[in-house]
Amino acid sequence: VNDELNAFLHAEPAEGDFTVGAKDVIDVAGMPTTAASKVLRRIPERDATCVARLRAAGAAIVGKLNTHEFAYGALTNSPHFGPALNPWNPAHTTGGSSGGSGGAVAAGLVDVALGTDTAGSIRIPAAFCGVTGHRPTIGLVPTDGVVPTAWSLDTVGPLARTAAECRRVLELMAERPLAAAARDLRIGIVTRLFERAEPQVAALCDAAVRELHGTLEQVRIPLHDDIATITQLVMLPEATALHLQWLRTRLDDYGPDVRARLLAGLFLPPTAHVTGLRARRWAREEFERELGEYDLLVAPAMPTTPPRLDAVPATYRLDLMPYSSPAALLGLPVTVVPCGFVDGLPVGLALTGRRSEDGVPLAAAERFQQVTEWHLRRPVDHASATELYTSRQAQPGRG
Amino acid sequence: MAAESNSVERLREIAEEQGVSPGDDDLEAVLDFVSRLLPALKDLERRLPPETPT
Repeated sequence: VNDELNAFLHAEPAEGDFTVGAKDVIDVAGMPTTAASKVLRRIPERDATCVARLRAAGAAIVGKLNTHEFAYGALTNSPHFGPALNPWNPAHTTGGSSGGSGGAVAAGLVDVALGTDTAGSIRIPAAFCGVTGHRPTIGLVPTDGVVPTAWSLDTVGPLARTAAECRRVLELMAERPLAAAARDLRIGIVTRLFERAEPQVAALCDAAVRELHGTLEQVRIPLHDDIATITQLVMLPEATALHLQWLRTRLDDYGPDVRARLLAGLFLPPTAHVTGLRARRWAREEFERELGEYDLLVAPAMPTTPPRLDAVPATYRLDLMPYSSPAALLGLPVTVVPCGFVDGLPVGLALTGRRSEDGVPLAAAERFQQVTEWHLRRPVDHASATELYTSRQAQPGRG
Repeated sequence: MAAESNSVERLREIAEEQGVSPGDDDLEAVLDFVSRLLPALKDLERRLPPETPT
């Protein structure tokens, strides 16, 4: 694999009908699993179930893909393995945590990449790398053989060039067909997420929505202001509990941002997780009551294009949360499709479906890609761009 | 166990009670985040309908 973009952490030759790279939190028999960390290194004897199902269907598993350390962040900039570089401009982040997955698909290094999405980790890199990604309904794809981030939020899903490829791979991993809706779609436009996005991003997404087939209405997500907090209350204690033994014995081996996030889970009261679970139930009931009749909700996948690696805003994670947290907390399926470019950097549209109706956003995405060509765009010459990035970094005064 | 008094020293005590020994830089990094999350938790607890199960 020609990997100037640092998408792969491990690669091996393999033969099959289509090539697949697995995020390095997903076990592939005989390949190391590190989660881009210094703490974990195991060589599993067995594939994760999702990988085994793809291998049985003819997939060539060609390697392990870069990730934010332990999939616990939105940048893919592990201090132990280095950042994944965005094929559209290697000075910019791929997003994360499945950043190697997004970058590898965008650069054409694999046909399909597997990612995980606990609180946005497939959707963010899909949008930032200009590829199609699908976060499944929670529970649709088995997560055994996958390093957990937070048990009650984790999902495994595909990133590929097209929604049709995502559907094919998802059906193989789920071992079931994913039906499209046999009805006219009722589509809710989450206006608040358009209003909060950068104007050029919002304009592209607004134009993309006009290509969807269905009845369009403006909607608001109930408890939207609370959902990021509730997600944190569920996720932090689960993630910290998963790492507690290592926090006691190998604290210094974590990168600073992941270490801080894991430590934060120590300082919540014992009731916080229960309050989070109860509030999740409340949010689900309110969502079902107000938006349960909608087949799709649409919004910009992310409010911005990918930031430069050396200029990530301090508010980066907070800014993304209103976009990524609702589907994560509510366990809903989301397909992200490329829908344009701003200054050469991709923009994605998020199509959120009802729980267990993954086929609906995927079918809408397939139809969108039949009438648009954004998913066919390719980074022109990422090797040259990488050289440019490297040479710029060597200039005095650049970080 | 919660960080009711949001000082670095209080955070250190809570961490050490759980067998974890973070440095000052780590605790400073966490302090702001925890200081924002705990009031949000309290507000949520106040508004959460009491009959809501998990």
